[in-house]
Amino acid sequence: MKAPVSTAVAIGVGGVILLGYFLPVPYLTNLRLLLLQWAVFLAAAALFVAALNLSQHHWVRLTNRHEAGTSGLLLIALWGSFVLGLVYPLHSAAVRGLFRFLILPIGVALLGVLTVSLIYAALQMMRRRPGLFSVLFLTTAMLILLGATALPGIGPIPFLSDTLRPWLAQVPAAAGARGILLGVALGTVATGLRILLGSDRPYGE
Amino acid sequence: MTTLIGTLVGFALTLFVLSYFFFRDWVLFRWVMALFIGASAGYAAAIALREVLWPMLLRPLLVLRQPLLLLPLLLVLLMLTKAFRGKVSRWGNVAVAYLVGAGAAVAVGGAVLGTLFPQSAATMDAFNFRLMRGRGMSWGEFVITGSLILLGVVTTLAYFHFGARPQPRRSPRRRGWIEALARIGEGFIAVTFGALFAGIFLAAAAALAETAQSLWLFILTLR
Repeated sequence: MKAPVSTAVAIGVGGVILLGYFLPVPYLTNLRLLLLQWAVFLAAAALFVAALNLSQHHWVRLTNRHEAGTSGLLLIALWGSFVLGLVYPLHSAAVRGLFRFLILPIGVALLGVLTVSLIYAALQMMRRRPGLFSVLFLTTAMLILLGATALPGIGPIPFLSDTLRPWLAQVPAAAGARGILLGVALGTVATGLRILLGSDRPYGE
Repeated sequence: MTTLIGTLVGFALTLFVLSYFFFRDWVLFRWVMALFIGASAGYAAAIALREVLWPMLLRPLLVLRQPLLLLPLLLVLLMLTKAFRGKVSRWGNVAVAYLVGAGAAVAVGGAVLGTLFPQSAATMDAFNFRLMRGRGMSWGEFVITGSLILLGVVTTLAYFHFGARPQPRRSPRRRGWIEALARIGEGFIAVTFGALFAGIFLAAAAALAETAQSLWLFILTLR
């Protein structure tokens, strides 16, 4: 077997945490919480490593003069916000300024760009994959959008707003969503068990 | 003064993002994206260090001298080797394995206790006449709604059944009855995605209106 230590760690830690979920033994529950707390430390460290890797990647691009301006800006923003986040507390004016004047305007504007992208994607879908699926998809989207709007002088559209839209959302859409959620959950269980049994080892050989 | 400069910067950044409508992926848009990604990543890393690693691991270890924390510290140090290139980074595999094992267990537990049981129970509730009558449903509505929900859930699940059998000189196909159920399920999935699309579109349109309004209000204050 390749990487026996890593595999043993993954199976051991995962097995104990999973048992802690289903067996109401206080000792096991405490052990599960302790192991999960350590996993939180590791997740934080992984986030830090990810930022370091991003920084390294853009440093190489900067030194190779490949889109140096973009990479330089990214590095300045990365290290600037990192130092800001370390030096100033969460609710300080500096951190709030970072969110209010940099992250929030860009995030909201990107969400605005998504509006046009969604319309474009819907039109592309009708052009590239015309069929019952596309017709059902777009008809539902249109009916729900129309049902959510109020026409000038009329207000909410009768029948559509008060009957059809809630029915669409609560019966066929909810049934489909439930099926998708159950499918995702079954897939998650299968994938998770493969990792816990050592069949899948996505942590390197 | 700081607020004015900040608002000006926010105004310019918003304009550069919205310039995507006209110039697509051009240099200013890419610069704003670099700023966004860099600032988000840097701040997230700082929060990980300031709010998790320092107060929960390093400080208790250095100040309160809790020896049990030496083990997670070792794992964290192993994880940090992943930032280096070459053979050193292999040491980090153990830490990644820990994280993957814990993540898989949490995912399995969450999927069983948080999705499979509650969603199955909610589907069964559609056949609880007393409950549905309490929600003002007639007998006819109860039968139609319950049957539709059951049909939707079962056929949607059938759509995700990929146990196809190999066939001589033909591409593998699912069994006929599963294929028929999957076709019905595809319709329910289309309706679900349509409803989700409409919800996301409404949120995005609201954000676009908010952005346009804030830009306009800022221009008015400059006048």
